[in-house]
Amino acid sequence: MQAVKNNLLARNLRNSTWTTIAILAVALLIFAFVAADGNISTFSITVLSGLLRTMLLFLVAAGLSLIFGLMDILNFAQGAYFMIGAYIAYDIQHPERGFITFGAAIPDPNLRFLVGVIAAFGIGTILGFILERGLLRRLYDRPLFQLVLTFGVSIILLEGIKAIWGTTPYTWTETMSLMTGSFQVFEQPFSIYRLFIIVMGFILMVAVSLLLQRTRLGIIIRAGVEDPEMVSALGINVRAVFTLVFTLGCALAAFGGAIAAPFQGATISLGSTFLLASIAVIVLGGLGSFEGTAIASFLVGLAWAAMEQFSTRPEVATFWASVTPMLMLSLILLLRPRGLFGGER
Amino acid sequence: MQSWRQFLKENWFFLAVFVVLVLFPHLVGWLTESSPFGVLRGDRYIMRGESTLWQAILIESFALSVLVMSYNLMFGFTGVISFGHAMFFGLGGYIVGMLLEFPEFAGIDPALRLFIGLLLTIVICGVIGLGIGFASLRLRGVYFAIFTLAVAEMVWIYFSRFDRTNGEDGLTISQMPAWIDPSQNRLALYYVSFVIFVLTFIFIRRLVNSPTGAVFKAIRENEDRAQAIGYHTLRFKLMAITIAGMFAGIAGIIHAILQKSARPEFLNVKFTVDSLLMTIIGGVGTFTGPVIGSTGLYLLDNQLRDQVVTIGSTTIDIGDSWNLILGFIFVIVVLIFPYGVVGTYQRWRAGRKNKS
Repeated sequence: MQAVKNNLLARNLRNSTWTTIAILAVALLIFAFVAADGNISTFSITVLSGLLRTMLLFLVAAGLSLIFGLMDILNFAQGAYFMIGAYIAYDIQHPERGFITFGAAIPDPNLRFLVGVIAAFGIGTILGFILERGLLRRLYDRPLFQLVLTFGVSIILLEGIKAIWGTTPYTWTETMSLMTGSFQVFEQPFSIYRLFIIVMGFILMVAVSLLLQRTRLGIIIRAGVEDPEMVSALGINVRAVFTLVFTLGCALAAFGGAIAAPFQGATISLGSTFLLASIAVIVLGGLGSFEGTAIASFLVGLAWAAMEQFSTRPEVATFWASVTPMLMLSLILLLRPRGLFGGER
Repeated sequence: MQSWRQFLKENWFFLAVFVVLVLFPHLVGWLTESSPFGVLRGDRYIMRGESTLWQAILIESFALSVLVMSYNLMFGFTGVISFGHAMFFGLGGYIVGMLLEFPEFAGIDPALRLFIGLLLTIVICGVIGLGIGFASLRLRGVYFAIFTLAVAEMVWIYFSRFDRTNGEDGLTISQMPAWIDPSQNRLALYYVSFVIFVLTFIFIRRLVNSPTGAVFKAIRENEDRAQAIGYHTLRFKLMAITIAGMFAGIAGIIHAILQKSARPEFLNVKFTVDSLLMTIIGGVGTFTGPVIGSTGLYLLDNQLRDQVVTIGSTTIDIGDSWNLILGFIFVIVVLIFPYGVVGTYQRWRAGRKNKS
């Protein structure tokens, strides 16, 4: 009897989570519609840029969320990995600038972009592996110091980027076939490349959740989120899984930076902008919950785009847009102290 | 007589440091043959010479030490991690800056305005600390930390767009009372900030060693157990947050007076991260750790900033790569000193005592 009651209670709570999300989403959509003055074409563009923002946030937050969920590390270096990805993809695409010149050997810009993305992913993997195996591993019993360490590493990486590429921001000039087209949404143009980022983000979202839900590794990771000691007592090498997840998280961030580079270029401030918003997103979604992170990035992305639309004066609009993640975070935390999907942790 | 001797024996180190710091401007002045008051030009002093330069460095160190000590009270002794500490620091500067600069207050004597600014800072920072504590009653651990980060970020963004304080550029304080103006009478500011520093140190030490402090530490070790014993842990946590906020605001005032401006950078999360790192590097939950951590890092920063090292044919401008060095310092300290510099030293000494 008691168990049934508990079960019902749990289901109620779960339902209330989804109810909250639904109410929030509807409220945001209505807000976006009002902000667009009821104009359907402006509204659809707002929603599409909201989705773009969502995916950009998600690309950084996904790795952050996986790492935090499993290892309880807030990886401050995640933003730096995002930047490294952007710089590498940029540099391979533009052999005449920067210091990587072998890109010139590949004449086709589309192919060069592909190579750039793969290289960014690879370098993110290598750097993530080094950070976990070489440094973080010694500090597993001292979580606070891991925080300081990742912060120190993020400074080192940032300075390394400055030393290699300098501080001048790079804007993407090479055109690829992906970047030339645009399509019409209710008579408003929306570039194909933005749509490409949205689609890539979706694919990534689905791929990671399939990995978590449908594979043996996913089961181990989810069990590790619940109780790493128990998993290790069952004879599974949790340390190896930690390394794998950390490396994957860093590689995902670098990959995100690379595919976002044609859209936003490569600048020194990329990392810090996205890191803070992504931290807000993972906390909003509930620490350790991957679906929470995905849904929270939708909500924040949509709110961001709607806020940008809201005022006609650009400085007011940017102010509200930049406050949005933090504002939503603090409001939702007051209503639900453990975020949307946070369990008893 | 006995207790006096006991006191000397326990505190000789602090007393020695105290005496050195009181004499410091004159000592430097005597060693480098420069006046601690600066150079007299006409009827006013110009701040030139080694002594005044070092005074500025130490004033900044005092401000940072007060900030980091207050952070340590919350984080090191009570176990509450906040990422919003820079908000109090910056607010202190902004309150004093606005009081001194806004034409509405021009009728009041500047010295009085400064004093009102100090009182207002203490009250406002305390109220905000209490408010944040109350609003986030149910949040624990990381959630609380991120909540404070969110609030502090919003305040920062607000002030970096606030027209009346010149947005991004910040407020330049031109109406500074002459007796404390760092570009006319730096020695006075040195002693004022020194007194604030000493009082903060004594207050925090006294507080932590009191029964209240014992509850703080109990909360740090195990909040549930402290609650089970019958302490209203929330009340004590609120107290720690409020007091820490007040001291951070005072530190912000010193900083703003020395810089003669109140800029949005003072509110930036950088100061929070700095105080967190300085606490951890100095030694979490020690009294001298935060002071050594903040002063040490600030002095290193200041001294290495414009050094140029030539090794063979390559010239390295340390100022350019200071952040890189800082990053390596973090990594190395974290790997070598597991309890911070002071914490590791204390453990090493305790271990040696046990052996003999």
